[in-house]
Amino acid sequence: MDAIGAKGVVRRLGGVDVLKGVDLAIEEGEIFGLVGPSGAGKSTLLRVLTGYLEPTEGTVDVLGIPPSTFKDEDRRRVGFMPQGFVLYGGLSVQQNLSFVAGLYGLRAGERRRRVREVLEFVELWEHRRKAARDVSGRMQRRLQLAAAVVHEPELLFVDEPTASLDPILRRRFWKEFEQLRKGGRTIFVTTQYLGEAEFCDRVGFLVDGRLVAVGTPQELRRRAFGGEVVQLALAGDPGHIGDSLKAVESVGHVIEIRQDERAEEPVSHVRLISQDADATLPLVMEALGEVEVRSVDLPTPSFDEVFFRLVKENQ
Amino acid sequence: MAIKEIRELVRQPQLLLLLLVGPILIMTTFGLSLDVENLLRPRALIVVEPKSEGARLFERFREEFTDRTQFVGTTDAPEAARERLLRGEVDAVIFVPEEPLGTVAGGRQAVLRVVYNTINPVFGTRVPSRSYSLVLDLNQSLVQAAIEEEIGNLRRAQGQIADLDRRLEQGSAAAEALSSEEALDATAGLDEALTNLENAARVWQSVGPGEDRNVSETLDRIATARQALEEVREAQEAGAEELEERSGLSDLRESLASLQEALGQLPAEVPARVLANPFALETENLASPPPVVGFYAPAVLAVLVQHIAVSLGSLSLIRERLSGAHEFFEVSPLGPGRHLAGKFLAYCGLVLGANVAVAAVLAGFLGVPVEGGFTLLIVAMLLLTVASLGLGFVISALARSELQAVQVSMLLLIASGFFAGFLFPLEQMTQPAAGVSYLLPASYGIRALQDVMIRGQGISASDLVPLLLVAVVSLAAARYLLGRKRH
Repeated sequence: MDAIGAKGVVRRLGGVDVLKGVDLAIEEGEIFGLVGPSGAGKSTLLRVLTGYLEPTEGTVDVLGIPPSTFKDEDRRRVGFMPQGFVLYGGLSVQQNLSFVAGLYGLRAGERRRRVREVLEFVELWEHRRKAARDVSGRMQRRLQLAAAVVHEPELLFVDEPTASLDPILRRRFWKEFEQLRKGGRTIFVTTQYLGEAEFCDRVGFLVDGRLVAVGTPQELRRRAFGGEVVQLALAGDPGHIGDSLKAVESVGHVIEIRQDERAEEPVSHVRLISQDADATLPLVMEALGEVEVRSVDLPTPSFDEVFFRLVKENQ
Repeated sequence: MAIKEIRELVRQPQLLLLLLVGPILIMTTFGLSLDVENLLRPRALIVVEPKSEGARLFERFREEFTDRTQFVGTTDAPEAARERLLRGEVDAVIFVPEEPLGTVAGGRQAVLRVVYNTINPVFGTRVPSRSYSLVLDLNQSLVQAAIEEEIGNLRRAQGQIADLDRRLEQGSAAAEALSSEEALDATAGLDEALTNLENAARVWQSVGPGEDRNVSETLDRIATARQALEEVREAQEAGAEELEERSGLSDLRESLASLQEALGQLPAEVPARVLANPFALETENLASPPPVVGFYAPAVLAVLVQHIAVSLGSLSLIRERLSGAHEFFEVSPLGPGRHLAGKFLAYCGLVLGANVAVAAVLAGFLGVPVEGGFTLLIVAMLLLTVASLGLGFVISALARSELQAVQVSMLLLIASGFFAGFLFPLEQMTQPAAGVSYLLPASYGIRALQDVMIRGQGISASDLVPLLLVAVVSLAAARYLLGRKRH
């Protein structure tokens, strides 16, 4: 059973269609990243999925139930980490977490145990007695994550957890999500950092209320470039090498041929697309003939480029 | 949710201290500083020409001036007095005319001019109203003095008539005696006595209560006696023979006898004070008014309860909505009902606890009465708290920003000052102000707390029912508005 299913979801806000027919299926136990620029409709889709907003059109099922009809026991199966710090600055770290655990119905003994476990998980146990307002912004963010998982939800919704964080902390958050996924949880994460798609099992690109692409990072790359990228460094000016390479059957196309004039000796960089790099490379080497191959690389294109290509393709 | 709210409040000791100490300090300062008696008596400076008739009149009736005002002193410099008035050193300057009695004798009213300088339409009326009372007092004192004089004349006339009557009795036996020098003096004296008597009767008639038949009859008899006396005096002047021939002497005796009888019926022993002030005022207050702090304390507490509850309520939900906490709660099993209930319980406890503590301190240290006991006081405060919290939650659910919520709370506070019976009596409210007062929990709260604390009564249905109604309607509305936002 899919953890989340959405069909033809439209959400109108203030007369404007913020979501324009979103179809989505997220499997249990995966990290799904919803990636898109600001204003794409990520938070609105997340709100529809959590049941905070009802879809104007279409249907949504979360854990097999429309979220707008969630009962208390259904809500206990879901965790939510909002974009900002929404807990209480006047309360201590521990009191905040204990309060949230109470909201989800954890009884006193279990609450104490889970609060400790989760605070240790996010490495805030030592700071438990400090008022939340007195801890750093990054600690507040981790406290917010702890609040989202204190009741051990099956499904976790996370809204832009890494927005305006430094790269080190962003990486740390993804490690924590990875750990949670290993614990069997399904995680739905929205982010505006395209590079973070790399950490997801599957990624959806949301642009202007439309889901333009969904797949694993590799699938999206392949779709964006039409295959795998192979990068060659050739000595000197290879002349009309492009035509020779294009003639190789498994080479989809040559992206670029560029001469590096700054190098001590003339070098030409060639990027080409192949459906299967392993099978293609021997054929490419053969086609190059006498040309000296300095290096062969299989680079991972940035998701910025992937996103850009897929959006352009959709337009 | 309730425990969380309490923990959050406990972690703000300054807030709790402010809630407790603030009202106590205000009431203590108020109680120590306000002297209502002096508040209603303007500081008055008297302008009077030294050694004038006006100055003598002022000295004679000094008490009338000093009782009605806070007497600052006298001066003969009108411009300097006016300057002091403009500088706010005095509230009124009273100009005493130089020749008041001379003016009255000339058939005109003597004018006591009072100048004041105020923009306050409420307390500003104390100067004209006190001045009016001062003029009334002065007039009464003058009339009383006149009556005292006329009563003296009346008594003297009575004695003279009795004396003459005896002489006339003798005179009828010896007519010569009546033409004697002594008898001529007696009839002249009687003429004067009748004039005085007539004057006294006329004053009596004008100041007496209603129409007095005795006085009218007396005046008729005086006229008859005067007529008879006229004949006797003419006879006296003509000589002893004429006296015997004339029947006027016996007519005069008859008239005088009848006059004495009429005078006997007049209440000549009535004191001039009573004649000048025939009506006295006797008032009975069924309630026992407390000192000024005691009177204002219930109203202050009621407005305080409402304001704290409305403020807490109005900020609570909007703050969560703006911070994103509301969305977090919406995704959690915490429904809008439990969400509100948690806040409601915590705030109820806080508002009630703080204000009962304030009331206890006011009762213990400032002697503010709690005649109905603390149990009833807590019930009244609880009702007001519940209704005010409901109103606060509605404001919070409708507000678009914290600033808006604060502004509406402040508007409610100001409206309570004007329309809830805090500054002006609720009974005096007419529409549309009365309509506003119906909507304010403080309107019922002030009355309920006054009933409990000052009158020692229970909470009347006319306060209990509206408070419950406001509470139920506003809490239901807040619950609906909070739930509606989910979709």
